[in-house]
Amino acid sequence: MWTTVLVSGITLGSFYTLVALGFALIFGVTHTFNLAHGELLVLAGYVAYWLWKTYGVSLLFTFPAAILATLVVCLILQRLFSRLREPMEMNSIVLSFGLAILLQNGMLFFFSGDYRLIRVPTFNQGLHFNTLYLSYGQLTLLALSLLVIGLLYFLMRHTFLGKALRATIQDREAASLAGINVGGMGVLAFAIGAILIGLAGPLYGCVHYLYPTAGLQATLLAITITIFAGVGRIRTLILGGWILGFAESGAVVLLGASWRELVGAVMLITLLALRPQGIFEREQ
Amino acid sequence: MRKKETASQKAIQQQVAWAAPVLGLVLLLLLPVFARYNDYVLQVFTHALLLATLALAWNILGVSGSISLGHAAFFGAGAYTSALLSLDLGVSPWATIPLGGVLAAGIAAIMGLFCLRLRGAYFALATLAFVEIPKVITDNWDGLTRGSLGLVGLPGLPSLRLGSYHFDMSGSLVGSYYFVLGYGLVLLVLVTLLFRSNLGLALQAIREEEVAAEAIGIQVQKYRLLSLLLSAFFTGITGACYGHLIRYLEPGLVYGLHFSAIPMIFAICGGRFTILGPALAALVLYPVDQFIFHPLLPAGHEFLYGAVIILAILFMPSGVWGQLRKGHFVSIKTGSIE
Amino acid sequence: MLCCKRFPIIACLLLLAFWCYSTFAVAATIKIGEINPLTGRLAKQGSEIHQGVAVAVAEVNDRGGLNGRQVELISRDDQSQPDVAISRAEELCGWKKVVALTGGYNDSLVGPISEVAKKYEVPYVASASLQKQLTQRENPYFFRVANLHGFVQPLCGILSESLRPQRLALLHTATPGSTEFARDLRSCLQSRGIAVMLMEKFRPGTPDFTPLIAKLASMNMDVIVSSGFFADHLLLVRQLKENRVSPKAYIGPFGIAYESFVREMGENAEYLYSTFAWNPGISNPGTEVASKDFVERFRSMFHREPNTTNMHGYTSTRAVLAAMQNVLHQKKPLTGPNIRQSLAELDLVLPMERVAFDKHGDPHHYQHLVVQIQKGKFEVVYPPERSTASAIYPMPRWSQRK
Repeated sequence: MWTTVLVSGITLGSFYTLVALGFALIFGVTHTFNLAHGELLVLAGYVAYWLWKTYGVSLLFTFPAAILATLVVCLILQRLFSRLREPMEMNSIVLSFGLAILLQNGMLFFFSGDYRLIRVPTFNQGLHFNTLYLSYGQLTLLALSLLVIGLLYFLMRHTFLGKALRATIQDREAASLAGINVGGMGVLAFAIGAILIGLAGPLYGCVHYLYPTAGLQATLLAITITIFAGVGRIRTLILGGWILGFAESGAVVLLGASWRELVGAVMLITLLALRPQGIFEREQ
Repeated sequence: MRKKETASQKAIQQQVAWAAPVLGLVLLLLLPVFARYNDYVLQVFTHALLLATLALAWNILGVSGSISLGHAAFFGAGAYTSALLSLDLGVSPWATIPLGGVLAAGIAAIMGLFCLRLRGAYFALATLAFVEIPKVITDNWDGLTRGSLGLVGLPGLPSLRLGSYHFDMSGSLVGSYYFVLGYGLVLLVLVTLLFRSNLGLALQAIREEEVAAEAIGIQVQKYRLLSLLLSAFFTGITGACYGHLIRYLEPGLVYGLHFSAIPMIFAICGGRFTILGPALAALVLYPVDQFIFHPLLPAGHEFLYGAVIILAILFMPSGVWGQLRKGHFVSIKTGSIE
Repeated sequence: MLCCKRFPIIACLLLLAFWCYSTFAVAATIKIGEINPLTGRLAKQGSEIHQGVAVAVAEVNDRGGLNGRQVELISRDDQSQPDVAISRAEELCGWKKVVALTGGYNDSLVGPISEVAKKYEVPYVASASLQKQLTQRENPYFFRVANLHGFVQPLCGILSESLRPQRLALLHTATPGSTEFARDLRSCLQSRGIAVMLMEKFRPGTPDFTPLIAKLASMNMDVIVSSGFFADHLLLVRQLKENRVSPKAYIGPFGIAYESFVREMGENAEYLYSTFAWNPGISNPGTEVASKDFVERFRSMFHREPNTTNMHGYTSTRAVLAAMQNVLHQKKPLTGPNIRQSLAELDLVLPMERVAFDKHGDPHHYQHLVVQIQKGKFEVVYPPERSTASAIYPMPRWSQRK
């Protein structure tokens, strides 16, 4: 049983990391919290669902449309964020919370409250490894998550843009002095974040169910993983995702399914209580 | 010339500031007479008043500059405490409603232990996560709270006897309406007194410049804890009233995100740093939502709340009422309020 | 300018005309009220109840009404919120002066409405309400055509009489009806010597059941009973298949016996057990004609097949109408106490059940049928006297299916 729990924890955890990446990047570069993160994810899922359902577009080709949708909303959000006054972090929470309500109600209007799922027939089959069974759904999720995380890691480590982004995350003033356009980096972070959300959304629609209020949980776990990792460390993000996935699965097995929601919440509060001065202070 | 203009503007603002609330109060007092023929109007305003008290209570903490996304924890705790005491022990709701507030304050003390060291955005995120704790406990402690079964058949508010005069609070919508209106007015007076007390001044000083406030000897942590406790106490009372008004409770209902989000939205739209703003926003926005947007857009009418809060934070961070009363903010130097 | 001056006069005339119309033109009709969650989280089920109610009212009006008086249905939406339900009930009872109330889905909404009905002495026959607490409170004006007993009895029956599982898991969601169902079923099973090995609660809309499934697999469960709803079954069954966990039977009393579920689930719906009180083609013996009439009228009104939820709305409304008819036959005035008395004495055979209420207002004869999905159809497998096919137990393992 524990191998199943471990595998489920790692698969889920990798997907959690993919979900959290966009949030962490936007937060790291622009110091704004995007509470509409989960809603954007669900929106991308709905776009894919709509294409798949009405036009029979296969899953692979729904990704560009989903990315386009999140890109538009994210860039609008970025424009709005740039008009905010101080304190930025707090006002961004309020603004994106409003956007979350707006998106939730918009999706309720267009897609109704029914549960939707993008059905991929092959996801039901799978491979046996001794006693362990892995469905293609889980495998796809794991592979795609790790692939995207790996690509982002490469981008951040080995390209000029990535280095500029990392410099901005580590110290905005210094980056600015070094001639990096910090505002431009903010737009870039939102764009990459949108692409990441656009990739995760349709996957979310294949594995979990889409409904308008499904986003909050995704937002909460993105926040938890981001706070766990601090910013700018992709490896720690994966670790955070795995720990969260494993802790949730473990809680279900040990305590019962009704205690699951508590795990993420307690983890987040503990992390915050241990680091009361916020994330950036420690690095200065 | 310019001086004169600003002077007359100020005079107009002063008049608006007095006339609008007085007119509003008269209208609210007379509403049951107008709305006699339509119970729906009365119910919407009863609920709007209840939400106004929620926003007022939220703002006791909000005035110190903190934003809480977890007031549903206090709302639900208050509702459950009062409901269980009156249902299982048969205690009169007059006694159990304040006890609901006390337990809510107790939970706030625990929350304060973990969250009060946090500032700004991090405090907001911690409160958002904190709601899960009382919610999951209430949901799973079957022996005490009946868990997911919910509570059915709560006693309503008992009737009030003053000599020969008999005032039925729960039996009629008018009774419930005046009860909530009365509670709202009491809370308004208390909040006004509070904001003008040393505590209120200290909180506003903390909001303006925390380091400076600490430097001049304000015990920042003590005052923030005090405001959190008071805010939770009144939120708990509002939750308890809600329970006795609708006579039905379920963990998902009273601990839902709805009751965390709504007071924040009203407070920010109305004006976080004013006394009346949050309550006015509740009394305007909720009826607008119910009478105009819900019939137009049955699925998705609450987009209104999302839209107003985005507009408010972008263009009117001090809220509509705050904008009208501009120049009447607390000034630390003179110590005068509004 | 002219139009502005005349505007008040025109407005007054219009108001007067409206008042005359509303007082005199409709005075001859009998008004009954209906409150359902037409928007909000329960919108789907509430709308289905509403359709059933509308069919019953259309039917009686086509037959010439009650003693020649047409029945006017006043529908209200409670937005799936208890406080709105109260105000709607106050409006219907206090202002619109309806003589009886019907409709209602979910205890959180039916409970508050029943309190208002009691206050105004307006009889209320709820369409879908389960919890025991609701009828245990002295409320002579509250009746309902459904209750939890009707779900628990047949399931307890089939489990203890024919399936007799060694290892039974009972899953339920953190909602009142589902929780009480799970407790009642467990105590019934225990009284008949069947142990419940695992009882687990989960939140509705849980995104992932894998850890729970790992736990079920490790305990090697024979039978899984899950009192979750539509979406919970969709996900749980799919993940059972993905993880190659094959119980001998999967029973979901709520949310499976709908055409939409079979459509959404496809071949994975095969062999699942559920319950319903009625379905097109399967009705209370002796009511086949009435059942067919209902189906035809429903189709012509809403252009789709009715389901068991629609039937609950229809049944509760028929009970109200029959009680009012009896009062009128006895030449008594249509007052709340008279209709209540008539409801208490009612004995009416309808497609879903024989409607008769006990002294608490609970139905005497509400009984679900246990069905299994076989070749995409719902086949009744319990009770034996009404079964249309024999149960396929254990169901084939996932790996043995094509």
